[in-house]
Amino acid sequence: MKMDGDRAYRLLVIDDESIVGKRLEQIFAKAGYAVEAYTDPAKALEAAERQPFDIVVTDLKMQEIDGLEVLRRIKAVHPATRVIIITGYAEMDTADTAFSEGVFDFIAKPFRLDEIKSAILRAVRDLEGRG
Amino acid sequence: MGAIKTWIHKLGRSLRGKDTPQLVFRRFLDVLEHNNRALEIIADLGEKGSGDYIFDHHYIEQSLDDLHATVTASARALNTLCRHRFPDLEPRLEELRREARRALRGGDPLEGPLVRGLDDLRPGDWDLTGGKAGHLVELRRDPRVLVPPGFVITVPAFFRLMRHAGLSERYEAFAAAIARGAEEAAVEAERAALERGVLEAEPPPELQAAVSAGLEDLAAGEALLAVRSSAVEEDQEFSYAGQFHSELGVAPRPGAVLAAYRRVAASLFSRSALHYHRHVMPGEGELAIAACCQVMVRAQVSGVAYTVDPAEPLAETMLVVGAWGYGAAVVEGAIAADSFVLGKSEPFRVVRRDIGRKEKALEYGETGEEWRRPAPGRRTAPCLSDARLRRLAACLVHLENRYRRPLDVEWSFDRDGRLFILQARPLRVAVSSRERRSLAARLQGYQLLAEGRGKIAQQGIGCGPVFKVDTGRDLESFPDNAVLVARRDSSRFVKVMERAAAILTETGTPVSHMATLCREMQVPCIVGVENITRRVAPGEEITVDADEHRIYRGRVVELLSFRADSGRQLVTGREFRVLRKVLRKVSRLNLVDPLLDNFSVEGCASYHDALRFIHENAVRELIELGRDEGRLLRRNLARHLDLPVPVGIIVIDIGGGIASSAAGRRVGYADILSEPFRAVLEGMLFPGVWHRNTMQVGVRDLMSSMFSAPVRAVAGRYTGHNIAIIGANYVNLCFRLGYHFNIIDAYCSDNERDNHIYYRFLGGASEFGKRARRARMIEHILREFDFKIKVRGDLVIARHGGLTRPDMKHVLDIIGRLVGFTRQLDVRLESDAVADYFAEAFLRGEYEVVGKE
Repeated sequence: MKMDGDRAYRLLVIDDESIVGKRLEQIFAKAGYAVEAYTDPAKALEAAERQPFDIVVTDLKMQEIDGLEVLRRIKAVHPATRVIIITGYAEMDTADTAFSEGVFDFIAKPFRLDEIKSAILRAVRDLEGRG
Repeated sequence: MGAIKTWIHKLGRSLRGKDTPQLVFRRFLDVLEHNNRALEIIADLGEKGSGDYIFDHHYIEQSLDDLHATVTASARALNTLCRHRFPDLEPRLEELRREARRALRGGDPLEGPLVRGLDDLRPGDWDLTGGKAGHLVELRRDPRVLVPPGFVITVPAFFRLMRHAGLSERYEAFAAAIARGAEEAAVEAERAALERGVLEAEPPPELQAAVSAGLEDLAAGEALLAVRSSAVEEDQEFSYAGQFHSELGVAPRPGAVLAAYRRVAASLFSRSALHYHRHVMPGEGELAIAACCQVMVRAQVSGVAYTVDPAEPLAETMLVVGAWGYGAAVVEGAIAADSFVLGKSEPFRVVRRDIGRKEKALEYGETGEEWRRPAPGRRTAPCLSDARLRRLAACLVHLENRYRRPLDVEWSFDRDGRLFILQARPLRVAVSSRERRSLAARLQGYQLLAEGRGKIAQQGIGCGPVFKVDTGRDLESFPDNAVLVARRDSSRFVKVMERAAAILTETGTPVSHMATLCREMQVPCIVGVENITRRVAPGEEITVDADEHRIYRGRVVELLSFRADSGRQLVTGREFRVLRKVLRKVSRLNLVDPLLDNFSVEGCASYHDALRFIHENAVRELIELGRDEGRLLRRNLARHLDLPVPVGIIVIDIGGGIASSAAGRRVGYADILSEPFRAVLEGMLFPGVWHRNTMQVGVRDLMSSMFSAPVRAVAGRYTGHNIAIIGANYVNLCFRLGYHFNIIDAYCSDNERDNHIYYRFLGGASEFGKRARRARMIEHILREFDFKIKVRGDLVIARHGGLTRPDMKHVLDIIGRLVGFTRQLDVRLESDAVADYFAEAFLRGEYEVVGKE
């Protein structure tokens, strides 16, 4: 994966089903990203406050803090972060709200690795201003 | 009024007892429609197991619900078609739904056998065996390696022990705390209590009885046993190497085995295991353990081997470490040992050897562990000769190919010089991030044959010489660890799958039977790679990277060394195991052959089986259509087909089978629009097929035909017209040629899953031996075209399914030729050799041989 100077892109994955974080971590670490994965959104947000991430991939439906809330709080602290929301339910209302709140992309579960890879690649291009 | 009308209609129909061909056909299509929807759901679920998807629990649950509803609809459609012949089908589906849900939720941990022999378990029974013993179950089935026999004290046995000792609640609380990621100090008291509790637990009586029986079945006399840990997560995604207790030199008596077992089970709660647990799998995995009891090899020299030298992962070398006696000391690093670095291909050259000063050797005697001093000459001599190193190396390469990833293997040569494999577990090759980044650059040195072409049916990385497969016969000479390259995919590849490094096909989908089998066997596979058969030469080495969707020319060492990083370890992850368990109830096909006895409602062990059963019986219903002349002929639908060969066929069109422009009672070949019927006719009319030589019929043949044919004619529905019921996509052809009787039933559409061919051949004019020979000759020929066949005497029943439309036409054309070719041929089949001669000639397309042999 392209590096921004010497620094690897920081990727945060939040999903309360641990399989998602685990797999994305494996795949994107292999591609050269610095990945952190959390099943607890509160802990993930703490990590994001300590050091901002370039890209955040979050599940929509989670206990306590949902994906939209994650989106708001991430954007509030670090507006440049690109947030991708994954969800098992394709809900158009949520999609509309999410887009107005500045979500970068939406992906419906289950998805192919290619889909998430290309979504993240688009986010990277966007970050590099080549969108 | 309407209700009465309906009632009268129904009464009338049941009095007449028969539906019109059109109605039967429409209902048949109804079954197909539901089946297709269901098969799509199954395919979707199966595809998730390829490693190329991210899915969650909710998805599996939802899909199961959809699937159940659809298969139920299909079962109802079948029962409508065949007048409720299968009342127990829906209840069976309900049972399947319960079983699938149990697989999804995780069953009752207390349920299941307590002790089971390694050879009585199936690969994939992880829930019973735990990881380590699970690998041994697989290894025992490999005819090329020797693994000591043994039995497993299962995971359910562990839970029964816990319950019997009154530890269940404590265990639940502890497991929940770990899943939450509790600090070690917070659970220390509970941990220690559990460890002590298991050590002191009195095994339940049923476990004592099961272990006694296990020892008896093992029948290994006084041979000592090794009792090893086999935790559920051990040796899978996480090695847990050395974290649990194993005990060697255990006396083969129930008391001793159970004592060792308790120590093994208690080690699940040891401090170090807990530490490991918390670090590698917070919130993941299951806290449960089994134990594997194996006969100990009388070891002369033992050790460990890595199929990739971790010091130099790119050098294509293996590392072997060994010493005199038993291997435990080597594993623990307790003694000086010899180490060897070997080349990975023939002749397995020794690149480096470091011979240690071996002052001690571990042995097991009457009193257990004993340290002995090797004889003076042996202390400084290598413990492995070059010949033994080569044998070990060949075995290691075989194992690595079989598991498709680097391995950590424990081995032993016994006093008779036999090589035993004691354990094989995934080896994680540490790859630094620097190496990882350099990987991309290194890969650029290789020529890419294809990138992103086709679809990944199963992830993984495989490398080997290209072996092209055209016909079924090619498979017979398939070399170990070659890359199978074929134009079409075929479930027949299953024969060589275990030995294939990877599979590439030009057509096919990730949802075919073959793709499903690839996933079960973890064979890297890409389907739909255009022109690949033309772009590679037989024997040429290529590397298939079905993780990154690339195919390289040559041997890409970098990828092979890092195979540990690839799909294989992901698919042993917990969620994949859950999916696979569910798939056993969903997509595993157990009813492979409709001709076998288990082809019944009770035999349906998965939804896929049920669909197969439904489809087959729907087809049977169709086949019966053509045999019922009374029903067909009186309806005034019949028209006569004029052909240039002397077969009088009456055609009945149920929709789209005959051109609307054709008027009158007689139609010609050109008027036939039915695609499958046209294909059969084309074959029958193929130049040279319809030989006109008069057959010399012997006296015995004549006698035979005089006596046998009329009997058959009375017994079966043998006399009468040749009838073809046809639709645009359908043909049902029942006809008699000379003294034999053919049925061809075929449905041919764009959806290959709907397509089927049923071919039945019976009888002949000659003596029974010749007729039977002809039946076998037909079998010989049809096998080449992947038919499923049953032959009984002079009866041949052959089935085919799942072919694409062009392949359907091709195979039906062949059937047409076969019908013409084999006509009257039986009288010539004086010997098996003659039958083989004709079969081979037919396969070569030399139809004119008849009469010239």
